[in-house]
Amino acid sequence: MSTSIRLTIALAVLGLVATGGASTAQQQERPNAVPSRADTETIDRGRDMFRANCGFCHGIDARGAQGPDLARSLAVLNDDQGKELGAFLKSGVPERGMPAFPMLTPENARDISAFLHTVVDQARRQRPMDPNAIVVGDPKAGEAYFNGAGRCNTCHSPTGDFKGIGAKYDPATLQDRMVNPRGRGAKTPPPPIMVKVTLPNGRTSSGRLVGITDFYVTLTDQTGVRQTFPRDNEVPKVEVNDPLQAHLDMLLKYTDADMHNLTAFLVGLK
Amino acid sequence: MTLRTIAILVAAAALSVLVQAQTQLDPALFGKPPVDAWPTYHGDYSGRHYSTLNQINQSNVKHLTLSWLYRANTNTPGAIAGGAIPEAVAFRLGPGALAGGLLKATPLAVDGVLYMSAPDHAWAIDAYSGREIWHFFWRTKGGDHIGNRGVGMYGGWLYFETPDGYVVSLDAATGKERWHKQIVDVRSEYFTTVAPVIIKNHVILGMGGDALDVPGWLESRDPDTGEIQWKWYTTPRPGEPGAATWPDAYAMEHGGGMPWTPVTYDPQLNLIYVPTGNPNPVYRGDARKGSNLYTASIVALNADTGKMVWYFQSSPHDTHDWDATQVPILFDATFNGQRRKLLAQASRNGIFFLLDRTTGQNLLSVPYIESANWFKGFDDHGQPVPNPDKEASKGGALVSPNNGGGQNWTPPTYDPDTGLIYMNAAQGYEIHYKWDVDGPTFGSAGHAARAVGGLDTSLRAFDPLTGKAKWIHKYQGTEWNPPRPELLGGLLSTAGRLVFAGAPGNFIVAYDPATGRQLWHAGLTAPMSNTPITYMLNGRQQLVVAAGDTLYNFTLE
Repeated sequence: MSTSIRLTIALAVLGLVATGGASTAQQQERPNAVPSRADTETIDRGRDMFRANCGFCHGIDARGAQGPDLARSLAVLNDDQGKELGAFLKSGVPERGMPAFPMLTPENARDISAFLHTVVDQARRQRPMDPNAIVVGDPKAGEAYFNGAGRCNTCHSPTGDFKGIGAKYDPATLQDRMVNPRGRGAKTPPPPIMVKVTLPNGRTSSGRLVGITDFYVTLTDQTGVRQTFPRDNEVPKVEVNDPLQAHLDMLLKYTDADMHNLTAFLVGLK
Repeated sequence: MTLRTIAILVAAAALSVLVQAQTQLDPALFGKPPVDAWPTYHGDYSGRHYSTLNQINQSNVKHLTLSWLYRANTNTPGAIAGGAIPEAVAFRLGPGALAGGLLKATPLAVDGVLYMSAPDHAWAIDAYSGREIWHFFWRTKGGDHIGNRGVGMYGGWLYFETPDGYVVSLDAATGKERWHKQIVDVRSEYFTTVAPVIIKNHVILGMGGDALDVPGWLESRDPDTGEIQWKWYTTPRPGEPGAATWPDAYAMEHGGGMPWTPVTYDPQLNLIYVPTGNPNPVYRGDARKGSNLYTASIVALNADTGKMVWYFQSSPHDTHDWDATQVPILFDATFNGQRRKLLAQASRNGIFFLLDRTTGQNLLSVPYIESANWFKGFDDHGQPVPNPDKEASKGGALVSPNNGGGQNWTPPTYDPDTGLIYMNAAQGYEIHYKWDVDGPTFGSAGHAARAVGGLDTSLRAFDPLTGKAKWIHKYQGTEWNPPRPELLGGLLSTAGRLVFAGAPGNFIVAYDPATGRQLWHAGLTAPMSNTPITYMLNGRQQLVVAAGDTLYNFTLE
């Protein structure tokens, strides 16, 4: 197990590895509280009835035309089996242009509600991102940046370590890994972070960094022995040498265009 | 029951408090620095998380030691059960489970009892021994069990919010349910986590939920009956001030802006300071062109009427989930030669704001982290001007902070002795992508943020009057994947010349506020997950903090 993987696992155990995706602080988990539960026939009847009576204003898919998008309607969301929705439809909201449907039966309301809940579910389950569709940059400008301002060629070469890299990763992962080469999806482990510890008595220990906090630093020395040193306000002296530091430094420097151009260049290295 | 009746009852009960089983909270405690009690989420109304206690101080903090720990009991047999339905809905995060195993709530400490909560659960704990006095369990209908930030207390009554959208009032002495009221409907994917704040005879409540583009509001309820006293919607309705910042009625009615963290309050001005959440749809601004008031804003409301007095928008037309739900910290200081009543916020978007809290006038706007790159500058009101090039795009926009923000919901602390704000600040990055989806923009559809990385997370001592850091303690090992600020917990400062903060690696640490030197630390079993509190119990200063599913009580040896 590589140092970086161990570090990643250690961080994961501590809950420190930030997760990707569209999570938000107020809603990291999105339990499907109210899944659709109607049978297909009910939904089909509801769809037909909706299209005939409501589609002109709300669109045949219920996602809005001159009337509002019903995937976000509280009257739909807060409805069970058409009970609340039926009452709403029977009276309408004439002052806002929503007509009343006094002839509506409870069965009609249940069917329409069943259909509309599938609309809500579909609106929520949008198709995921296509990682191949993100290439928008200019490969020539990317190559110039690679060999020029980006100084990527200090460590990397299109004919050496990057030979065929465009076939190794999809474009989005390639771009991710440019920003964070210690992030997810590595096909080859990134080089380890090295550390040197100098004790007050002058004795030193060096090796691969296993983990570091304010109070402990752990390394694996050249002989494979794991050593942990307590830390107290910068004692002992700890020097960390990360061979990928340049990527961290780039975060404050490169523009989105630089990033897009580099990705376009690297994607072409099949 | 009026406030005066309560006060008389409390005064009458004060002499006999030791022989009475019934705990009564003196509402006068709310407006003062917490000493013998920690009576409300922020300790007092100011949001400073500062204690005047100094028994634990720089000279003896190294002798701080564990006196007990309490592991959250989620066994439902034996609990006092309540709920709006006879049986709890089978649910993967509960019942019987804490959200992610985390105690996020700030406990209240009143008359030798700690009142603690988690999604669907509340406990009374003997502050001397750490033994459970009672356990209340709520039969949930579902909802997002992401967290619960604590209980509010009024006289002998407790209030807490549930993931399925209710506020429940309990008898503090017995844990028995008094009543419950529905705030929001879980079928619209609302959920509630906020610690209720009691202001006079108002129970102030908010909600969360940004999955389905639903409206948000703050509400006040009667502490005795639970009936609604007022509601303030976080977005205007057609014809109201601010309506011009939305394209149409539909957009504003589905514009989100959930107030999902507790408010602060100035009793002299009688103003509640409400930090509001992100607009909806969350990342795609095309369906809501305009600045989208009053989402991602700090809003001052009259406590008795709920009417808005002023607003300041921390993130106009937010397209990055920049909730402004960070603590509006209240303190008074001399700014540019003039004594002022101030409000400070280190916002999720990486920018620090200093306002006059009487008028809302902006005095200072400055990034408090170096990495924030999503805005072009500031407008005439000191509000940031978003850079449209940093909105999600097909090729990806590299944005800092990341979704966790420079700050998140966990409170920083303001230490009046140093005049500095202390906070754990993150410099994360992520790439925001967007792509076409079927139908109109909806929730978070058509957006992804990838490649979360970043520079670091650090503890910062920040001068709110100059906008400059006095010192920065960088946490080594947080490069590449800086922890979200809320995963380190909140902060506490004391007159013992100490700042307590969580550090990566599951530590709670005491610092010298002047220099950042570390004076004491303890290893916990999980990252610190709430905000530490301190108070006097029988002549001894206590420090109480939660990590994961466990509450830790520290005292001097």
